[in-house]
Amino acid sequence: MTYRIVHRTTYKYKHPVSFGNHAVYLNPRTDERQRCEAYQLTVDPLPATHSERTDYFGNRVSFFTVQEPHDQLAIEARSVVSLDPAEPWPEHGPAWEEVARSLPGDTTPAGLDAFQFVFESPRIRPGPDFAEYAGESFTAGRPLPEALLDLTARIHREFRYDSKATNVRTPPEEVLREKKGVCQDFAHLQIACLRSLRLPARYVSGYLRTYPPPGRPRLIGADASHAWLSVYCPGSGWLDVDPTNNVVPSQSHVTLAWGRDYGDVSPVRGVILGGRDHKLDVAVDMEPLE
Amino acid sequence: MLAELLQTPFADSSVYNELAPDGVTPRPHWAPFIDSLTSLGSDELARRWERAERRIRENGITYNIYTDPQGKNRPWAIDPVPFLVPPEEWRYIEAGITQRAELLSRILDDIYGERRLLSNGSLPAPLLFANPAFLRPLAGVGIPPSSRLHILAVDLARSRDGQWWVLADRTQAPSGSGYALENRTIVSDVLPDIFRLSNVRRLAPFFRAQRDALVALGQSDKPQVVLLTPGPLNETYFEHSYLARYLGFPLVEGADLTVRDRKVFLKTVEGLRPVDVILRRVDDSFCDPLELRGESFLGVAGLVDAVKAGNVTVANSLGSGVIETAAIMPFLAGLSQKLLGEPLKLPSVATWWCGQESALRWVLDHLHQVVVKPAFPRRGVEPIFGAELGRGETQRISDQLRARPFEYVAQEQVALSTAPVWDHGQLHSRSLVLRTFVLNTGTGWMALPGGLVRVAGAEGPVVSMQKGGHSKDAWVLWDQPIETFSMLRPRGQPVEINRGSVDLPSRAADNLFWLGRYAERAECIARLLRCMMSRVRRVTGAQLACLFHLHACFDESEPKLPKDRPATARDLEEELISLMTDAGRSGSLASTLDELQRVGGQLRERLSTDMSRLVVQLAESANVESYMLFSEYSAVLDGCLELLSAFSGMERENITRGPGWLFLSLGRRLERAMYSVRQLRELTSMSDDATWPFLDYLLEVADSSMTYRSRYFTTLQPVAVLDVLMADGTNPRSLEFQLVHLADLYQKLPRHVPEDLEAMRHAITLLHSLDPATLNYPLPGATPDNDTRIHLNRSLGYLQDLLDSWADNVASTYFGHARTFPISIGG
Repeated sequence: MTYRIVHRTTYKYKHPVSFGNHAVYLNPRTDERQRCEAYQLTVDPLPATHSERTDYFGNRVSFFTVQEPHDQLAIEARSVVSLDPAEPWPEHGPAWEEVARSLPGDTTPAGLDAFQFVFESPRIRPGPDFAEYAGESFTAGRPLPEALLDLTARIHREFRYDSKATNVRTPPEEVLREKKGVCQDFAHLQIACLRSLRLPARYVSGYLRTYPPPGRPRLIGADASHAWLSVYCPGSGWLDVDPTNNVVPSQSHVTLAWGRDYGDVSPVRGVILGGRDHKLDVAVDMEPLE
Repeated sequence: MLAELLQTPFADSSVYNELAPDGVTPRPHWAPFIDSLTSLGSDELARRWERAERRIRENGITYNIYTDPQGKNRPWAIDPVPFLVPPEEWRYIEAGITQRAELLSRILDDIYGERRLLSNGSLPAPLLFANPAFLRPLAGVGIPPSSRLHILAVDLARSRDGQWWVLADRTQAPSGSGYALENRTIVSDVLPDIFRLSNVRRLAPFFRAQRDALVALGQSDKPQVVLLTPGPLNETYFEHSYLARYLGFPLVEGADLTVRDRKVFLKTVEGLRPVDVILRRVDDSFCDPLELRGESFLGVAGLVDAVKAGNVTVANSLGSGVIETAAIMPFLAGLSQKLLGEPLKLPSVATWWCGQESALRWVLDHLHQVVVKPAFPRRGVEPIFGAELGRGETQRISDQLRARPFEYVAQEQVALSTAPVWDHGQLHSRSLVLRTFVLNTGTGWMALPGGLVRVAGAEGPVVSMQKGGHSKDAWVLWDQPIETFSMLRPRGQPVEINRGSVDLPSRAADNLFWLGRYAERAECIARLLRCMMSRVRRVTGAQLACLFHLHACFDESEPKLPKDRPATARDLEEELISLMTDAGRSGSLASTLDELQRVGGQLRERLSTDMSRLVVQLAESANVESYMLFSEYSAVLDGCLELLSAFSGMERENITRGPGWLFLSLGRRLERAMYSVRQLRELTSMSDDATWPFLDYLLEVADSSMTYRSRYFTTLQPVAVLDVLMADGTNPRSLEFQLVHLADLYQKLPRHVPEDLEAMRHAITLLHSLDPATLNYPLPGATPDNDTRIHLNRSLGYLQDLLDSWADNVASTYFGHARTFPISIGG
């Protein structure tokens, strides 16, 4: 499956901005089953400086500064990404307690890489309430892949999608209490649950293809930034789950970046001089090429 | 002899007595000092000490206490009796702490480099992964190796058997070396003879080496080094400014710096100055809101990127705080063998990191013997003393440890040694901790001979400057000739005459600009208020209507007058009280004076003591007491206005005419021009023929009644009032006077923008075209929609917009270092 993705972010500032310093995570990762064939970033006004780096987690990040006065900033990322189908979901797997127990002693590169996602991160503090919620799915001796699907299904069932209920700063504790939120909240919540059981879980930022109602044309710009999570299971590697839709990501999910939580990989961030209030407009278009 | 000085016998056998093992006979290295002190006599010491304490207060040596309701600025507490360290003991400590610095520096290199210590199991991974001080954006970044750990502080304590132990390592942005230096200056001044005879190792060579090491970290020919401070609210701000002055580097806050083209610059009114090296006293996670903690205002956006580009060096390196955790202590002995091939010379206090199964079991079994601390300190989490736990609490703490073991360490509590502290003529025995410092000179490690000794505020084992402890100087008594280099210019050497000033930082210019604006704004508000408050209860009809017109001259977007019905005199009275006293209302006199004080506080080091004091007095000058009558409020305003004129007098007579003064005056003129324009606009908007009381009020507010009367006697005519308040260039309160001075001050500024100067000159030309002498301005009672009046009103409106844009452009050019928008010249 190959997609052409256009991700357009526009800031309209109430007062002119004289200087802006931005970092964007809009360049899709290339990994075992996903290849980023092309990537182009266009910024208006034209940036004074621009640099590209690979961050600590292996994500591509672009930095740029705009050093002329502006009251609007438009960031457009265009990419072409091809996807292989996901590996079939493992039928067997180690008991979840075994994973939690063995990981601290695993000093292989894969083990060390996974282990860092067991711990607290700036936006996710594990705690007994999360462990208790997860406990219903993570019963004694249950294989990790099976328990994981069960927890994903429960979050999908028991939480309500509500784009008005939360914002980018809503803590997982509140999401657990109120039982509503958006994709980012459900990903944070499920990560908090897993880390509270000392299981390694990372946050994935990406895109989700949407389908128009039958008989209607595809609406350009109606697709969305999306977020889900990935869990390390020794023997199988990282397993992606999407609690918002209760699916295992495969041919409709394109991965942009991953990190410990949203804060590590927020698609667009910046520090500006001036501006005060702003209006933000985001449009994503995901066009299948074959 | 010693017995005379001792208040209580020093014989407490449960701790190590630094002065005298048996409580009365001094150890050999203390004996000469005690002899000298005894012969000096306690009265003489008391006299000298009183003088020294006065100097501490006058020099503003302070340490800020976070939880102190009195706020900041607590005088630095220091003890005149130094802590003495004999040569052989210092050699032992020095060898131990320099080895430790090398070891910690290598561990840091590995953590931010290849991370082999993790993959080979020498360092447990959670020490990084669970550690908020591990800054991932800095992993794999190449930096000058000697900036990794430029300076290290090691806290030492001595146990009962005489052994020194490391209590803590400070690798983030260690504080205290500046206070140690200040302590030395004070104590050696109080005890000059004893100091000279004791052959004490000097501190200055260490700071010279630090200065040289920092300069050597710069890439350019003449590197610019700055000291980055979080600002005056920080607990150790005094030390930051003291060290900056002593080392000869500018003291800057994050807002003074900017990153352009991946390089760091210091913003000054003269322009952007490249910065090569940053000695930071801001915790690293606060240093870059773009890549580190997003909510921080203390740092510089883009700093991490500039570091990665190799364009700036930060010392200590960003990320160095990761090894401050006590959780690393149990592993240092093994790491020393592995990395240095030698045993650890100075032991750490016994520490268990609970992330290891066996350590956790031991701690749970011995909870009552240890102190439990968070491995990765977070605000508000205090150590738990196991011995003080009740039964229920023991269970609760054990559960916490079991739930997230890697977040906790347990440490043995060292019974601290005691040293003599002088108090009211006698010596008392107090627990002590010695903070030592090690510097990476670029070619090796150098220890500060001595350090900062902290002693408990009372008997007992808790030593903390945050909790009211004292500090002491530490004298390393030497058996070799000592180097007596001084960083200060010797008295006998001639100085070069210098009338220039160093570049004015933009933030200071910004604050001075606003100091001028707020002082003038307060005066304009107070004058309007006084004029109205003295009348509002006495007038009716046309006069009252004119007071409402005067009320419209406040810069107030949300007046609190009723909107659903015509406002009464009573409504206006309440509104005036609110405009005078409501500190929560922006635009009120009270909040303006608060702002004046805030800005003045930022300028503490640039204002004279008299001026600073006036700013503080002003902040309370508009306060009214609940028992006061409304009729007394104008008297309060009189007092406030007197202080304000004292302030503007000092401004004129006591400040050198450098760029700082230009910004202060620019702010004042701009604000006065803005108020003047608003009042003139109000006047020219009034079309009824009952304007004459308003004319009277305006003259009073502008302090121009006498001028007017001397020229026109008592005939009040709008056109004559306009001439006095708008066009008369000899009246320091007229609009013309403000605009001419604005243009004049502005063109004296370095790198002023020609277009902005042109805009102000255009404004003056426009004003001159409105000469009341040639204007056909309506007499009272004339037709309401007179063209001249409408034209005048429109022109003033245009001037008002121009002043707003002009103020924005001055701010962009000099404070923001950004390009400005052209001011549209229309009319």
